[in-house]
Amino acid sequence: MIGALIIVFREVIEAGLIIGIVLAATRAVAGSRVWVGLGVLGGIIGSCVVAAFTGTIAEFFNGFGQELFNATVLAIAVIMLAWHNIWMALHGRQMAGDLKQAGDQVREGGRTLAALAIVVGTAVLREGSEVVLFLYGVLISDGGTVKNIALGAVMGLGLGAVVSALTYLGLVRIPTRYIFKVTSWLITLLAAGMAAQAVSFLEKAGVTEILGNAVWDTSAVLSEKSIAGRILHTLVGYSDQPSGLQFLTYLGTIAAIVALTQLTTKPHPRMA
Amino acid sequence: MRGLVMAALLVLAPAASAEDLITYEVTLKGAAFDIPEIKVPAGKPFIIKMNNRNAAAAELEAKELKIEKAAAGNSSIVVRVKAMEPGKYLFVDEYQEDVAKGFVIVE
Repeated sequence: MIGALIIVFREVIEAGLIIGIVLAATRAVAGSRVWVGLGVLGGIIGSCVVAAFTGTIAEFFNGFGQELFNATVLAIAVIMLAWHNIWMALHGRQMAGDLKQAGDQVREGGRTLAALAIVVGTAVLREGSEVVLFLYGVLISDGGTVKNIALGAVMGLGLGAVVSALTYLGLVRIPTRYIFKVTSWLITLLAAGMAAQAVSFLEKAGVTEILGNAVWDTSAVLSEKSIAGRILHTLVGYSDQPSGLQFLTYLGTIAAIVALTQLTTKPHPRMA
Repeated sequence: MRGLVMAALLVLAPAASAEDLITYEVTLKGAAFDIPEIKVPAGKPFIIKMNNRNAAAAELEAKELKIEKAAAGNSSIVVRVKAMEPGKYLFVDEYQEDVAKGFVIVE
């Protein structure tokens, strides 16, 4: 039971953290919870579909279909996170004074909520399919331990939900005037970590070997696969043996999001 | 922009991964791998092919080798491992990691 609990919990930590952050970042936006819920639901459905087609996906690209699939899914999430951050920086300011545009912005806001729902969905999807595969395996195995394993799995999922709740509750305690800044940075780091991870999948698929050597090795100090390592991996993109390309991608993504945010938030005379 | 780069890489992918790396094959049946130790030379990337002969899915995992890949029931997967330093590296079926173990010996 404990084994199943750990397996499932390990897989759902990342999604749990991301859901908590997205909920906190969109706390003030009407309808955000519905969108996050839709994202989770879509992710679960997607997980079942991906799990059912695991064998087929694996056969693509000389056996590296899963890696390329994961890299693509991560890249989509990175773009959605970047878009959300830039949009919030741009419109968060305008919303205060400009009532005339409010109607449009609510609609636009819905659009970036959809982007965040996609982020949540992809987070659930990436690890969820493995949970589905594991649970399906348990179901079809005829051991007498099925009930115990199922119980462990449910508890693992429950712990994942606790991670979400703690992340959310921790973030909403931050005073209102700072929370926007904090969640913007969290989303930027989340995106940078995901971009680096997308590169790691491309490296695993043999797509790129440029700057492939590890820039550092801290696996002895904090393994990326430990619970703490996984949390840091999600939150700030921690990697115990990042390749040069992963490291550059990480820094480049942060720089790109910050630069785009700065560019778009510069006062534009044409707005008047 | 990043999306474009990704798209370009995806198109290039089949060509790039077709390079000739030595493939080491291991078969998982029940809770055991048929070969307990895979010997590979140091300093060269290689490929491990795992045949999952169980009806249940498996997940080949080797922390130090950076392998973490699910295999559907009765199917095979391949994973690419970068050039490693000499050493003994554990791999497991994560779904039954207490029992289904093997080692990659890099020498």
